[in-house]
Amino acid sequence: MIRLIIDSRLENVSLVGGAVRGIADTLCMDSTTSYQLELCIVEAVNNNIKHAYHCKAGHSVEIDILLYPNRLTFKIYNKGERMNPAKVAPFSFDPSNVETLPEGGMGLYILHALMDEVHYETINGQNILTLVKYLKS
Amino acid sequence: MQLKHNNVEDVLIVRPLEKRIDASTATEFKQKMNEWIDSGNRRIVLNLSEVDFIDSSGLGAIISGFKKIGNNGNLVICVVKESVMSLFRLTRMNRVFDIYASENEALEALSGKA
Repeated sequence: MIRLIIDSRLENVSLVGGAVRGIADTLCMDSTTSYQLELCIVEAVNNNIKHAYHCKAGHSVEIDILLYPNRLTFKIYNKGERMNPAKVAPFSFDPSNVETLPEGGMGLYILHALMDEVHYETINGQNILTLVKYLKS
Repeated sequence: MQLKHNNVEDVLIVRPLEKRIDASTATEFKQKMNEWIDSGNRRIVLNLSEVDFIDSSGLGAIISGFKKIGNNGNLVICVVKESVMSLFRLTRMNRVFDIYASENEALEALSGKA
């Protein structure tokens, strides 16, 4: 297991992204899969900083990376405000209508579209987002 | 955030020199695009040749510029790396933006010479 801990500042997220890309490269993922894996973890950590900690520095975001023979699991922990997935608006727009184009709210859609499993739970005041990517054998 | 920019006739070409447009740089990117649009640039080519990584915040900043121009001009994109293109496809933004393989093609399309 690899554990990364960053302070809750958006400029730190690229450090996590670089680590994820390094792992993807080690697992010989192609460039698009590697990008998409990095994208998911970056989106998840961004959400932690923006929504759990409201972009306030001085809090920890922890990321555990666990490699199994058939899957890669990421667990992202924070002790900030709990996310309510039911309150997240669905990602929907009309490509031909400029007014409907979203400028945000894409993060969860991206996670669900690209990861094989997405779980969210709160245990003893700690919010845990688990993302799983199955590995091709 | 470093953004190279130059005008070819009335088309503004913007080329980010950073490899990432993400949550930490999206606000600055959006602000600079807004300034250029407010100062009268209505036809913009965004050249992403140097960009390896865009997250949804970066994409949102690009969309913001596109919406700000609205029907008074156009913002087109060129030289998008295949991995970054996968984000445009995933979010269906490839159906929103005109995306060109080269800067010249984008320029010609915006200049009405294509």
